[in-house]
Amino acid sequence: MTADTRREALKNLVSTDGISFAATPILIGPAPYFDLAGEEFGSRLILTIGADGSEFCLRPDFTLPIAIEHLKSGASTPAAYGYLGPIFRQRTDGPAEFDQAGLELLALPDSDAALDRVIGFARAALDIYGIASPAIRVGSIDLFEAFLASCDMPDVWRPRIRARFGHPRAMTRLLDRLADPHKPMEGPKGIPQQGIADWVSELMLTNGLSLTESRGPDEIARRYLEKQALEAAHVPSHTIDLLRTYLAISGDTDQALSAIAELAERGGFALSGAIEDAAASVAQLRNSGRLSGLVFDAGFSPRLDYYTGITFEMTGKDGAVLVSGGQYDRLLKRLGAETEIPAVGCAVWVERLEASCGAGEAGQ
Amino acid sequence: MSSIMLALPSKGRMQDDAMAVFADAGLPIARPGGARSYVGELHAMPDVTVRFLSASEIARELIRGSIDIGITGEDLVHESAETGPDQVEIVKRLGFGRADVVVAVPDAWVDVTAMDDLSDVAADFRARHGRWLKVATKYVNLTRRHFARFGIAEYRIVESLGATEAAPASGAADLIVDITTTGSTLQANGLRILEDGVMLKSEAVLMVARNADWDTHRTAILNALLNKLGASR
Repeated sequence: MTADTRREALKNLVSTDGISFAATPILIGPAPYFDLAGEEFGSRLILTIGADGSEFCLRPDFTLPIAIEHLKSGASTPAAYGYLGPIFRQRTDGPAEFDQAGLELLALPDSDAALDRVIGFARAALDIYGIASPAIRVGSIDLFEAFLASCDMPDVWRPRIRARFGHPRAMTRLLDRLADPHKPMEGPKGIPQQGIADWVSELMLTNGLSLTESRGPDEIARRYLEKQALEAAHVPSHTIDLLRTYLAISGDTDQALSAIAELAERGGFALSGAIEDAAASVAQLRNSGRLSGLVFDAGFSPRLDYYTGITFEMTGKDGAVLVSGGQYDRLLKRLGAETEIPAVGCAVWVERLEASCGAGEAGQ
Repeated sequence: MSSIMLALPSKGRMQDDAMAVFADAGLPIARPGGARSYVGELHAMPDVTVRFLSASEIARELIRGSIDIGITGEDLVHESAETGPDQVEIVKRLGFGRADVVVAVPDAWVDVTAMDDLSDVAADFRARHGRWLKVATKYVNLTRRHFARFGIAEYRIVESLGATEAAPASGAADLIVDITTTGSTLQANGLRILEDGVMLKSEAVLMVARNADWDTHRTAILNALLNKLGASR
């Protein structure tokens, strides 16, 4: 096979029966990316401005335009979308164009079957390029959320820790800070919350700030007290140990998952069902994907809060990501659907598959 | 005959101070076309062509390599391009044009004194207010880098090209990143610099373009010039 016939085979894979081939526009509005992924991903967009001042970006992925388009047909209508085409992102060495293909399954009633189908697609794409056994890293967002929910700590910290999942540096920084809390904040002590709120609201009015458009006096007063109370009610050190140990777990999937179960036991709680769910998804990758040597990396997650369930990444010999995918049940709700809608998908990087394919042939 | 192109700021204190750097080194710059002309002459070194350009243009052209050496504010190099600082080589820090690029929050945010506080506020913000925390600034690259260093991802930048300090009061943003020399404008607008909120201590710097075409002859001219200025590569 030549590169062209391989690409043609990939095209067939994403436009076969039962899959609508999505031809999303290349020039799109950047707002949804900033809204969902924030400034960090925003800095990777290639932006341009229209004559009337409106902003556009070159499509940096297919998932989001497909999900937005899907909402118009009714969020809960089951649908399978395939795609193949260029995406554009800023890299440190300049703007770059990449060919990406993928499959996104939205609102399918049986989410296990949907995951199976996505894994089957990944396997078929790898087969086209003759890649038998890529390195595979698996993570579970649900499992971390279940673990976090069971850990002993003031509730105010749970969402803040969750927000840093998938971003090791930010997470390490937060856990280090929680392990060694700030000195108690200077400033008046023993004022009731209402007193602080009055003081804050006077400051805000003096400086011409709206009391409602941004952080309000009550919110600020509450956090002021929370900070003062941190000495007394900080995250217990055994919880920080549990979280650090959890995030460092990485290795053979069975061993990793039993290490997590043991860790929960040590923490005095059970992760009812979450470990079994993760194990079942791992088994699907192994069986439906005919994949071996899976590594479960407990801290692995995209840093996007709409991902849920299982997430996976397959890499080639040089460490380049060939395939990445996972479940993202919160995306459609973020985009305006009334409830969470099951969603799972995966994208493959065509040039990298092609490069790995060439390398494989050269090695034979 | 090849020559090298030197660019100096075309107005204000920064122009006077930059001209003085050369005069003090025994390399006075003349302006045959008068003080409003954008062409200068360096009689002691005829191989050096002198142009007066706006400070931000100097930063941009140094990064592209279309001018060879120049003086401008360090902050502008960070802002012209994300990898701008890698494209130039600072050969001398000049000690004038000092200003800090800082993170400032409303003084009424009595619970927020450091970047770590902002990190918690940002993480909570969307759930509470249904939108991201908004930061008004013209320093997009510096802001992204500084916030990333503190692990903050949950915010949006609102580009602001003037009177940034007014953004919290006007409702355009929740906090700002801006440049300040004394902090008095920030204070007058009820804003407070965070303890670890200084992103960059900027000053005027003499810079060489890495992307320019440095053949042997032009390198020799450059080295002679740097030598006289007491600058080093």
